[in-house]
Amino acid sequence: MSVVARRTLLAGSAAILVMPGISRAQGAKPKVTVISQWSAGPSAAAMVALGNEFERQGGVWEHDPVPGFTTEMMNKLRAQIIAGDPPAASQLKGPEIAAWSKIAPVVDLDPMVKEAGYEALVPEELVRLSKPHGHWVALPIQAYRINTLFVSKKAADRIGLTKLPATWAEFNAAAEKMKAEGITPVANGGIKWDDGMKWEIALCGISLEAYRKAVMELDEKTLSGPEVLAAFRQFRKLVDWSDPGVAGQDYTPFAARFIKGEMGMLLMGDWAAGLYKRGGFQLSDYIVGQAPADDGKIAFDLNSDEFIFWQNKQPEFQEGQQLLAKIVMSKELGPLFCQITGSIPVRTDTDLSAAGFNDQQREASRSMGEAKKDNRIVLSLAHNMAQTNQVTAAMIDVLTEFAHDNRISPEEGQKRLVDAVDNVR
Amino acid sequence: MSWRASAARALPHLVIWPPILVSCGYVLVFSAWTVWVSFTPSTLMPDYGWAGWRNYSSMLASRNWHIAYTNLFIYGPCFVVFTMATGLLLAVLIDQRIRGENIYRAVFLYPLAVSFVVTGTVWGWLLNPTIGIQKLVHDLGWTSFRFEWLIDRDMAIYTVVIAGVWQASGFAMALLLAGLRSVDADLLKAAQIDGAGPVRIYLRVVFPTIGPIFVAVLVMLLQFAIKTYDLVVALTAGGPGLASTLPTVVVYDFMFQRSELARGSAAAVMLLGSLAFVLVPYGLYRKWQQRKARAHA
Repeated sequence: MSVVARRTLLAGSAAILVMPGISRAQGAKPKVTVISQWSAGPSAAAMVALGNEFERQGGVWEHDPVPGFTTEMMNKLRAQIIAGDPPAASQLKGPEIAAWSKIAPVVDLDPMVKEAGYEALVPEELVRLSKPHGHWVALPIQAYRINTLFVSKKAADRIGLTKLPATWAEFNAAAEKMKAEGITPVANGGIKWDDGMKWEIALCGISLEAYRKAVMELDEKTLSGPEVLAAFRQFRKLVDWSDPGVAGQDYTPFAARFIKGEMGMLLMGDWAAGLYKRGGFQLSDYIVGQAPADDGKIAFDLNSDEFIFWQNKQPEFQEGQQLLAKIVMSKELGPLFCQITGSIPVRTDTDLSAAGFNDQQREASRSMGEAKKDNRIVLSLAHNMAQTNQVTAAMIDVLTEFAHDNRISPEEGQKRLVDAVDNVR
Repeated sequence: MSWRASAARALPHLVIWPPILVSCGYVLVFSAWTVWVSFTPSTLMPDYGWAGWRNYSSMLASRNWHIAYTNLFIYGPCFVVFTMATGLLLAVLIDQRIRGENIYRAVFLYPLAVSFVVTGTVWGWLLNPTIGIQKLVHDLGWTSFRFEWLIDRDMAIYTVVIAGVWQASGFAMALLLAGLRSVDADLLKAAQIDGAGPVRIYLRVVFPTIGPIFVAVLVMLLQFAIKTYDLVVALTAGGPGLASTLPTVVVYDFMFQRSELARGSAAAVMLLGSLAFVLVPYGLYRKWQQRKARAHA
């Protein structure tokens, strides 16, 4: 090797060593690390789209999905916080935002939220969850309506049903007719959260006020009152109308039987539409809308995912968090994110007329806007929006035991629920 | 002494001690940490205050823990007895010097290579009355046939037994077969010469000789049973309702689902205690055996 060549080589390696320093001197790009449970399907695709937008606006995006339940994601978050290295932002929801924001420093988003004029545009319930101690620390990214009713078109045709049952009485009449026709009336699953959700939807439809007091405020008088008892009665009916082999089953394997008309009605958050879409079915295969409400008014049982922002000392991460917050609060997030996941944009001023949205999303979004105006929004129990995991788990245990043991009378079930709440209060 | 000789002497220590220290550290440090956390008021995050026995008493009073331990007392013995019986039967059958022995052995041992989650899921389908065995029999024409244990809250725990036995009997078979083969051929010949039939030879000569192997298999299966988690999660999800919950499921539920670290740790410590119930008597039994052997020699 000649001397010159060696010298060039040395110079080259020196340049490589110096390079990171150069790029830092020029000002690093804004950067975020995000952890979420969205590792597959439409949710993962939506995260990719969000990441692309983030990079288009000049940032460096690093998404670290943790497959499985939300709790798995939370375990990773816990480990990272203990290690003193939380991500720039992570998925979190409901009262857990308040609980977690106490254990590690979070970013105060107040100035940004103010500048964007964001607070007035989202439902107050979400505002309350996102600023647990008086300051914005988390931002909602998408919403779902839990009290959604899907009716199989084929099953509806067989019993001559042309529109959704509006009250539980109408629902029950339709279910009886379906049963007489040999159709399994309810297409829900039989695992814990599904059981909790059926009861929750029943109570929402019986009395939204009672739901607010009993579930969100844990008011003892309402919990042992007539509305909750009626919800247990309706819940028992829903379970009896389900598939006999429903214990331990998710609702997803029933999709084909539902579309074929062998099963009649599904009470599920509106993400079920995403399942049907992926299964190759059309919106015309089913009728969808708000679950029964006995007072005939709008009721909106809300589920929502948020990003919480964890403090980071490095300036590129702080810039990254600002950029991410800006994108998440922008009007463009709805079309960008919710068109892929099938959820509802949290900004009530989002225009859903674009072709990427479907009629179901438009209807649910309109309903959310009206419910916001009329103060008819409540937070979901089974999806960890109304209470901390501790209280939720205690209540769901009672509900799932009730569902799978018909020796427990509705009165006894209600008593157990009151006791369970007393024990964890 | 040459360096070669001292290296030769040091080598075994170098090889053995690091893994021992690492595993002891791993097991002991984390066990001790869990015990510590179980006496603190931790919820979402470890919090090193002092809570006394509060977590233990609240776990012991909880309904989930009662159901879980009742289930463990049903599941543990059933699982061990049926697995040993099936394993022994298979081992004796294979011991008859049949043709294609290796194939059978591989087939029976194969379930052990399958993950518990797969076992649980597949048995979940088989046992589900609307899609599994019951439906098959109905379709064959016997429509009054009922096999609904999976959705019957009183019987659901037995479906876990079925799947567990299916999974583990091959393992019991392999160990017992090795035991059967290790019996001294002279003993068998002597018994034959004395005119003992095959049944008598197994009952009076072979099984007593391999007694220690039975105990070893028993202990291994018992700790399998106590540790069972993924099988029940995949098969019944602890349901219907909470009917087939096991202690491990409760530990996970409290620690991670409910973010009650301290109570979950208390449950985990009690679970460790139940393992000690199995392992300490076994250790004493081994000691006693060794002493007996030494006395004989």
